[in-house]
Formats: sequence, C-alpha cells, structure tokens
Amino acid sequence: MSTDEPSKTSEHHGHEHHEVEGPGYPTPAAMRTESEREKTAFVMGLRVGMDVDEPDFVGVVDVDPESETYAELIDTIEMPNKGDELHHFGWNSCSSSCHAEGLMRDHLIVPGQRSSRIHVIDASDPRDASIEKVIEPEEVFEHDLSAPHTVHCVPGGKIVISMLGNADGELPGGFLQLDQDDFSIDGHWEVDRGDMEMNYDYWYQPRHGVMLSTEWAAPETYYPGFDLDDVEAGKYGDSIHVWDWETKEHQQTLTFGEEGLIPLEIRMPHNPEETEGYVGAALSSNIIRFWEGDGGHWEWETVIDVEDREHPDWDMPVPGLVTDTLLSLDDQYLFFSNWLHGDVRMYDVSDTGNPRLVDQCWVGGNFGDRQEVAGHEVRGAPQMLQLSRDGRRLYWTTSLFSSWDNQFYPDIGEEGSLMMKADVYPEEGRMELDEDFVVDFGDAPGGPARAHEIRWPGGDCTSDVWQ
Amino acid sequence: MGHEVTLVWRDGREATIEVANGESVIDATEREGLGVPFGCLYGACGTCTGRLIEGDLVHVERPRGLKPSHRNEGYVLLCVAEPRSDCRVEVGATVQADLVPNPWK
Repeated sequence: MSTDEPSKTSEHHGHEHHEVEGPGYPTPAAMRTESEREKTAFVMGLRVGMDVDEPDFVGVVDVDPESETYAELIDTIEMPNKGDELHHFGWNSCSSSCHAEGLMRDHLIVPGQRSSRIHVIDASDPRDASIEKVIEPEEVFEHDLSAPHTVHCVPGGKIVISMLGNADGELPGGFLQLDQDDFSIDGHWEVDRGDMEMNYDYWYQPRHGVMLSTEWAAPETYYPGFDLDDVEAGKYGDSIHVWDWETKEHQQTLTFGEEGLIPLEIRMPHNPEETEGYVGAALSSNIIRFWEGDGGHWEWETVIDVEDREHPDWDMPVPGLVTDTLLSLDDQYLFFSNWLHGDVRMYDVSDTGNPRLVDQCWVGGNFGDRQEVAGHEVRGAPQMLQLSRDGRRLYWTTSLFSSWDNQFYPDIGEEGSLMMKADVYPEEGRMELDEDFVVDFGDAPGGPARAHEIRWPGGDCTSDVWQ
Repeated sequence: MGHEVTLVWRDGREATIEVANGESVIDATEREGLGVPFGCLYGACGTCTGRLIEGDLVHVERPRGLKPSHRNEGYVLLCVAEPRSDCRVEVGATVQADLVPNPWK
C-alpha cells in the first residue's frame, strides 16, 4: 500500500491481530519492510526573525523521483497568524494506536514554539492538506504552560505535547494533553512534576511503563539567542527525567553536568522490549546512553564525544553542537548532526554501549569543505534529520531556531535555508550526499523561509512508538 | 490621542504611524501592515526587538527577552512597548540579531 495514504487497514501490512484495526504497523520491522517509499514530505517553513512579512507554513515537498515535480516545494499550508515559529510537529495517532479501532493517522498537530498557538491540520490527503482547528495561545496559557515542543500520540486516545515554559515564558514547563477526538485541551498530563523544571523532548516505552524527558531552558532564556553567560548562570539544562508512564509521576533525575549540557533530542529503540536509549547533548556535543539498571534505577554513560575544533578566525574552540539524533527503524544505526561543524554522522549501534562511527557527510557549516550543492549555496548545516522507513535515504534541513540561526548563520535569516539528502547503504554502512536533491527554501512562494522538521505521511523514525 | 512613531529600517526605509493610547507598537505596525517581526507577543522572545533612537517608549510588561545591558543600550521589545511621546525606533530582524553575538567568535 502507499504509505502516503492514511494507514488504517491492518490486513494490508500483515497484521497478526485481525480482530482490531488501527493506524500504523504492528512492528517496526513491518513498517520498515512493508511500507512503500516516501512520496511526500511535510516540512516546517518559517518566517520568524526574517524581514519577510508572511506567516510560517507547513511545506509539502515532492520526494517521489517518478514525479515531474520531484525535489520541489509543491504546496504551502500557511498559518493564519504570523510569528508562530513552527518547530516540531506530530501525528494525531501512530503505531502505538495500531490496535485501536476507529483511529486514522490523518491529522498533524503543528505547534508554534514562540506563539504557543497549536494548529490541527487535516492531512488525510497529503497533497491537499488544510487547517482544521486552531487552539489560541490564551487557551494554552490558562493551563500555565507555553512554548509547545514535542508532539506524540499516546495510547488511550490522547495527544501529549511537551511544554517548555509557564504562561510567562519562565520555568517550569510541563506536558499538555489533548483529546484525539476533538483536539480539545484536557489539561496537564503529569500529576507530579517532582524536581523537573526544564523540559524539551520526550520519548516513551509503553511496554515498560516509562517516559523520559530532556531539558533545554526557559523560553525567556533560549528565545532571544544563545548566551554563554546563561550557561554559566545554570540557566541551561544538564539532566533528563524518568517518569512513570502509568501514574504520570516523576521518578528519577539523571544529572550529567558538564558531560551533558543541553540534552535535546531523546531516542529510544523502536523495539518496544528495549529499556535503554540515547540523548544528544547539544552544547557538550556528546551522545549519552541511558538504561534501566537493577531495581528500576536508571543509569547513564557517555558513549560518543565530538571533539571541539579550532576555527582559524574564531577565539574559542567550537563544539559540534549535536542538535538532532535519530535511530533507524531496525535500531541498527544512529545518526546525528553537528550543526556548528557542518556534518552528519552515522554510527552502527548494534553493540549499544559501543557505537562505531561508520560514515560522515560534510556539507555547509563552519568546517565543511563543500559549501555548495547543485548550484545552491548551503546556508547553515545539517540539522533536523529524517530517515526513510527503509533506512536508505537520510534527509535533513539546515535551520535550527530563528534567533540562533541569526547568530551563527545569518545568511539563513536573509535568504532562507535548504533541505538536502544522502543515500544510505545500510548493508555497507555508508552514505553519500545526493548532489541532485536540493530544495531551496530561499525560493519559497512569498519569500525565503527557514526549513525545519520533516515528517512522512504514513509515519517515520521519530513519530512512531510501539506498544 | 496617541503618538507618532517613526520606524527606521537599516536599508534606509522609514514609515511613520500613529500609535493609539494603550496600543503596543507591534499592534499598530500590524494594523498598518508594515511587517515588523514579532513572535510571542508577551515580551519573552525578543523577535520584535527595536532600538529607541529618540522619544519616550515604556514597557507595559516586563521585557524578559532583554537583559539589563540591552535595556541600557536602548533596545526595546515592541510587543509590550507603548509610546509616551513621539518616537523614532530602529526596526527589522537584524536589530534582534545584535543582542547576542556568536560567543565563539
């Protein structure tokens, strides 16, 4: 079946539990091997922090090489307001609802990171999507929350969004829960926040009743830009939090200190049996592995350390700034981006505690030799990643966050950013930049835009969780 | 009765608008369709940063996105700022980018 269509019918993907149908796939292996190649990509397009007087949009990029409009931005779903800073987004349902009758993966939940406005997009036809509902910021602030980030559907007919601040953009954040039927706000997901103050990304393993969340900073701290004084003042995160998924209570804090400054994206294996995972610490530029030890107590170790590099024109050694991480659906490969250096790395994590670097792709950034692809100047460097379900194509965009872009890659703010791709050869453990695939968001209708997170209709490596 | 606020872009463009009593500068620029950048609209994100060149502009909510040093240098957050006299303000996305330089450079 084409996974560009909303997935509902279980027979089409070899479902073992015929009595109940639902969206997604019964196993990560089924999604990896039985889905077709991605044909459409939803890509966030932003105008915040640019002198472009237009709203942000969800872009529709044609990624079907058989199509006449291959590698083009074929549609933009414009937001009704300006200033949202669309950042991360998610589906109303994923493979965690595979056994839930009556659900479809047909709505995108699209939050504005700066505005705190939450949009619901009907994406049942990926090439003719439209806004169905808008939750205004005031409705979010009523729950003393702001700055929505990670959206996951969760079992039980709910959607949970990590929120980075309170209604004033200060600490603490929390988790906002929406209803999957009418997208109304239920309230906070968590019942006991414990000592969690900062929030960012989260992942859950329902089979083990656990959720883990990470830390960026208070919105008022990271919104205006990155300041080392704020790091020294302890205003940026260095910990992750373990939650009881059933009771919604905070259980444990893993504090990394200098080894884990600004732990952003968190990824647990797609295999629901696993009780470990990885988090990328952006500023320390480390990958930290965590796992459940004896007695349900979680432990951690640093497994990858990206060395700072001396830049001839800069005063201080430059960290890689690990901004996004991703696990392939078979959990064999870990990819991450070094946004300040200008590379994306591929590690074999078959031996989970001993990741082995197998390949690296340099393009853009402050150290990349290649600064131009197919006649397009690379503004920024590999940042948000998305891997095809079969693990053979790694796509990325080059913008991070409007104010941080303007600090480190000001060209993005003037001319927009790009989407690129590498072909991945998992059997050989290597990847190669596709020099023919470039989507230049500098040419977006209405003016240049920043390209950010990427999602596939039909599910992807960073949306789907299995029960 | 309000005040006249002249917006000055770095490319030399200028526009003068009337900002009503109790109206933020951003609300007035939106009403006039002038495309001054903004984000959160409650003074936390700094996207709407401008620099006061002349006049009296007051923050009606705490401008959390500015550090005290920024405020001393005349930077203002236009989403929570109201004029108390006629003003001249430098605007545009690049003004915000001045607030926090690249710390490694």
